[in-house]
Amino acid sequence: MNETLATVLVGIFGITGSLLLLASALAMFRVRDALSRINVFSPATGLGMPLIVAAAYVFDLHSAGFSWSSLLMAVVAVLCLIIVSSVASNTLARSTVLSGQPVYRKTNPNRLAHPPAGVVDVDPDVDVDPDVDEG
Amino acid sequence: MMRIIHGIGYVAYILWAILTGSFTIVTRLFRTDYAEPMIVELPMRCATDLEVTLFASSITITPGTLVAAIAAGNSASPPVIFVHALFEDSEESALAGLIDMESRLLAMTRGRAPGAQPENEGDRS
Repeated sequence: MNETLATVLVGIFGITGSLLLLASALAMFRVRDALSRINVFSPATGLGMPLIVAAAYVFDLHSAGFSWSSLLMAVVAVLCLIIVSSVASNTLARSTVLSGQPVYRKTNPNRLAHPPAGVVDVDPDVDVDPDVDEG
Repeated sequence: MMRIIHGIGYVAYILWAILTGSFTIVTRLFRTDYAEPMIVELPMRCATDLEVTLFASSITITPGTLVAAIAAGNSASPPVIFVHALFEDSEESALAGLIDMESRLLAMTRGRAPGAQPENEGDRS
């Protein structure tokens, strides 16, 4: 591979990925609650880190030549980053909600707190018959 | 065969959504009103565990949307997904984007695009 082309590609992928990580970190300061912070971090893990892996693969391609094993490692790394990022964000968001972390007060609409118009939520733990006494 | 074509289209759609969503998050850094968070509720047409898992993962990997909770369905009501969205204009546009993604996903897993409404208990096996 051409020296100049390799340098340019590594630079583009690496710097873009690093800037995406930086932008995600800055975005975490612009939002107010835990759910939003988990939300705005997904460009870093979903796009920034795969770009850095791409930069590392191009560098390896240039310095060591083509090999199937390094290509396989790069593809598996990118797939794992995307899948693990998604599952981890799901788990973090679920634990955030379940732990009772406060949601930013300007979150509107908040369907976890208020059902949509026309929907009646029936709590199965509450006895519907008011005449029955307990115990 | 149709599933493979829909699957390739769906992967391309997800990659494109990751690109545009990341672009949105980065460009809105320079605006004063950064985000308008909302949590919307969507009754899912996805029926099996695989479909629900793929749908939740696809939503979460798209920058700007995040699955906050999933309520299990029963014989009378479909499973419901609660999505935290940051950059949508209104609840309707957020739901429209999610329903579009769900239609593409179901076209991949079932081989054809489903109907518009969540299925009733009579259609479930």
